[in-house]
Amino acid sequence: MRAIKNSIVLILGLIFFTLQSFQLPKNIQKKVDKEIKSAFEIELYTLEAIKVSENVNEKLITKITGSNFYKIKQNDSIFGYAFVDKAPSKVAQFDYLVLFDKELIIKKSKVLIYREEYGGEISSNRWLKQFVGKSAIDQLKYGKDIIAISGATISARSMTIAVNNLLKTIEILQNNNTI
Amino acid sequence: MRQFFLYGSFFLVVSITNAQTTQDSINQQINGAQRLMSTNVNSGVTIGGYGEITYNQPENENGELDVQRLVLLFGYKFNEQVQFITEVEFEHVKEVFVEQAFVNYNVAENFNIRGGLMLVPMGIINEFHEPTTFNGTERPIVDNVIVPTTWREIGIGINGRFSSIDLGYQAYIFNGFKSSVLDENGEIQGLLKGSNGLRSGRQKGIQSTISSPTFAVKLDYYGILGLRLGLSGYFGQTQSENEINNIEGTQIGIAMIGFDARYTYQRFAARGQFIYTSLSDTDLYNNLTGKELGSSLQGWYIEGAYNLLPLSKKQKLIAFTRVEQYDTHASTAGSLGRNDAYNRMDITTGLSYHIAPGVVVKGDYQFKDNALADNDLNNQLNLGIGVWF
Repeated sequence: MRAIKNSIVLILGLIFFTLQSFQLPKNIQKKVDKEIKSAFEIELYTLEAIKVSENVNEKLITKITGSNFYKIKQNDSIFGYAFVDKAPSKVAQFDYLVLFDKELIIKKSKVLIYREEYGGEISSNRWLKQFVGKSAIDQLKYGKDIIAISGATISARSMTIAVNNLLKTIEILQNNNTI
Repeated sequence: MRQFFLYGSFFLVVSITNAQTTQDSINQQINGAQRLMSTNVNSGVTIGGYGEITYNQPENENGELDVQRLVLLFGYKFNEQVQFITEVEFEHVKEVFVEQAFVNYNVAENFNIRGGLMLVPMGIINEFHEPTTFNGTERPIVDNVIVPTTWREIGIGINGRFSSIDLGYQAYIFNGFKSSVLDENGEIQGLLKGSNGLRSGRQKGIQSTISSPTFAVKLDYYGILGLRLGLSGYFGQTQSENEINNIEGTQIGIAMIGFDARYTYQRFAARGQFIYTSLSDTDLYNNLTGKELGSSLQGWYIEGAYNLLPLSKKQKLIAFTRVEQYDTHASTAGSLGRNDAYNRMDITTGLSYHIAPGVVVKGDYQFKDNALADNDLNNQLNLGIGVWF
């Protein structure tokens, strides 16, 4: 009986993943799932894309595309939020993820894929930990609020700007009662 | 579920339509140069570059104005994993060099195989030499006479990082320095010499000759916030031309180790570097060539810097002082005595004004000293403009 129950859960889970996967590339989705599971210590959840109207989007610094910002839900309760996007390094772009708790305070940030020879140091968990606990009330200035990385200045500044813009965007969304 | 499929197919149709529109507008409106200039990573092409225009004014001598170097970077991404990068360098306007030209194959996350003309990872400046990344109009002198920047040779190797322990690694097999050549009169000439050590032996991938490979490794640790530590090593024999390969003294052995540290906290920054090079068989080499090459080269520098502008400003005005000690005759072998003129202590102090990220105006003054009782070295004022994009 237990085995059947488990397989139903597994099938349900697979369906959920299939539903989600058309929005994020497969390899990114896999990494995002791994991070959500470990950060929130949950196994089953759904990602519900946050959509905003064109009017609101115009005011935003970071545009919400319908496939970059998600509510992390279990049944009907919100566990947190996930934001996935790309930011520029010197000659390429890297994929990053920011996880928020349900109060929209940063719970974790992660560089998912880095594609360049130099600047990969921004993947350092110790460095990324500096973003944890930040929320819309915080201003993040590279070198001041976020400690610089020698030899990775461009990427580290880029990541700081990306998160700072995201926090400002969330502030606008909150003021608009969109989230 | 049905709704989902309906929505899905709608989405598919919309994306295809969108894709076609984008395609059309690209074909119509964007020419080749614009595509090259666009920051769209998906196009695969990247361009960039850096340049340094300098003015050196020694006391009691004529000054020199120079487009010291202009380096153009081109990159092409064949797919997510395979990339070609090259840097074409114009030195003093008239000399053209290829500074880098390699293919990087990203085999797995944080693991790459790389081959071609590459920078030897030794110390800070050889790998990070764009003018906005260091203080002073001129590169540290240790990174000229002890580490012969820009030091590059053809080779192959691996690089990557262990993200969980914040450790980057590089390991390459390179072609080495050329120590001796046969001149047109059939006489052996030594390329390595007392005043600048290995510098004149760089082959730079120009029809370079190889008799034995050399090895280079570097580890970078960045696990402490604001701090980055580097440990480098380079080992092997020098190369000589085929005809004189078996003649005693045409080749020497090299073992170079380097330690470097960079630290930033708020408006304060510091860096330092120590390089020690041990050379073997220099007595035989000197007997053959008379080039007075030392049997060990050693140099270090420390630098402190402070941004005079608040961090809330976009611009930076950095005041710095760098103390350097270096000696290409740290020791000598055989009958060769140490030349105290090569035992140097230089202090450079000045300002770096970063107008925008990527554009810097530099001004500094260099106090030069050596171990001779009365040194005739002229102190020097340097001004420069540097860009990196």
